[in-house]
Amino acid sequence: MLRIEGLSAGYSAKPVLNDVSINVGAGEFVAIVGPNGAGKTTLFKTISGIVKPSGGAITFDGVDLLAVPPPQRAHLGIAHVPEGRQVFPSLTVMENLEMGAMTESGRRDWQANIERIFEWLPVLKERRDQFAGTMSGGQQQMLAIGRGLASSPKLLMLDEPSMGLAPSTADFIFERLIEIRRQAGLTMLLVEQRVAEALESADHGYVLEAGHVVLQGNNATLRADDRVRKAYLGM
Amino acid sequence: MEGFFQALAAGLLIGAVYGLMCVGLGLIFGVMRVINFAHGDFMMLGMYTAFYLFTAAGVQATFGNTVGPFVAILLAGPVLAVFGYFVHRALISHVSGTRTASLEGEGHYAQLILTLGIALILQNGGLIVFGSVLASIRTPLSSSAWELGPFFDMSIFLNKARSIDMVVSLAIMILLSLLITRTRIGKSLRAAADNPTAATYMGIDVDRAHRTAFALGCGITAIAGGLLATNYPFHPFVGLEYVIVMYAGVVLGGMGSIIGAFWGGMTIGLVQQMSTLILPTQLQNAAIFAVFLLIIFFRPQGFFGRMVERT
Repeated sequence: MLRIEGLSAGYSAKPVLNDVSINVGAGEFVAIVGPNGAGKTTLFKTISGIVKPSGGAITFDGVDLLAVPPPQRAHLGIAHVPEGRQVFPSLTVMENLEMGAMTESGRRDWQANIERIFEWLPVLKERRDQFAGTMSGGQQQMLAIGRGLASSPKLLMLDEPSMGLAPSTADFIFERLIEIRRQAGLTMLLVEQRVAEALESADHGYVLEAGHVVLQGNNATLRADDRVRKAYLGM
Repeated sequence: MEGFFQALAAGLLIGAVYGLMCVGLGLIFGVMRVINFAHGDFMMLGMYTAFYLFTAAGVQATFGNTVGPFVAILLAGPVLAVFGYFVHRALISHVSGTRTASLEGEGHYAQLILTLGIALILQNGGLIVFGSVLASIRTPLSSSAWELGPFFDMSIFLNKARSIDMVVSLAIMILLSLLITRTRIGKSLRAAADNPTAATYMGIDVDRAHRTAFALGCGITAIAGGLLATNYPFHPFVGLEYVIVMYAGVVLGGMGSIIGAFWGGMTIGLVQQMSTLILPTQLQNAAIFAVFLLIIFFRPQGFFGRMVERT
């Protein structure tokens, strides 16, 4: 569904991504793990069009994504749940969800989507009229996920949903994500620093270090790899 | 006592129009974070547009002297909105929005120079085209008044033209609030203002949202300018006199708050009129800024501003 080939990107002259190739098949759950500064967020920003690549290709559902203007990419079915949540603070929870549903499919499926989102993340229903900026980090993260789901995406991209959250909250959000994926059969691309959890539930994983894919494989292979065990799993 | 209520009434009437004028600027600043120094001059164009629509384009002949001016003023709004749309497209969009999101200072230096340049061109271009003679949109209503009262032996006189100005201002303000809070376009403008990057992720075209805000802001301020012109004569450099008031209003209301800008403008109108009770007329503007500094000292974020910066 999403195919990234030989992608290089960076800010000004400083390259952040170097010849990165990643493949996400329909229905797959792919995790990208790696240390801070490896280029994970830059990769997502390049997919969404905020960062312009210096080389390589991205195709989504057979469409050359790099030829699509950034605001149009969401309409193709890509939902980006950004790093640091980035909800709209002065909009209410409900209005944030409506912004997620700007796409055609999001508008069409609005009623069904909103019911499912409220069922998965009941806190959003309780706080539907609250300003997003006044919610806790965990609640904002759930809103960011709900906002992504409101577009009826084909691909849900999650950039460190556990960032800055208490471990118990992060665990809860992780469980919710697994449950949502199980019920909705969503294709998911996850970037995470919580490597153990990410690799445990993902079908396929990539290890990104200093802008390079240094390792990839299905979750069993990765978790059995000595380098991953030592560097990320603390074993 | 009578003088006090008379000044209060005059302040409310003029304040509503100042409020509308500030909202135009506040909308542009709130959504785009662009400081538009040329906004007073867009208003000047709005005044002349209303003037020529009234006198030369047949509005006077069709609607007469009483209704005509207000028809011309309301028509000047869309005209200036279209003008603003193209100014944004041709000039402002090159130094704002997604093109500059990653630049140092988000392109603010270029924006300052560009909008100052536009201001100079409009002022001096206006001088060439319109001449330096004072113009005004006169209606018989400008020099007649409704009498309220008498209450307890005193009556308040409301200038008819200014009263209608206030009603028009409030009506436009209500329409705008509905647009901003209820409609899809309004909500996407607010989302684009809150976080342009996240708005792009949602599929909102941030540059188009900016263009909409700029056009709306120009149109609204043009209408406010036309309303002012029913009582105050104007000239090509009139923008300079008002742009200061606009900025004071926007800051008072809270940078980024669109509704706040209205109350900021209202406050300025009230202070300006009330100050005449105790100060000579020449000190009106001094009074405005004394009160401005006082409010900002105690409430630096303005009436509706938030202390937190946007993420």
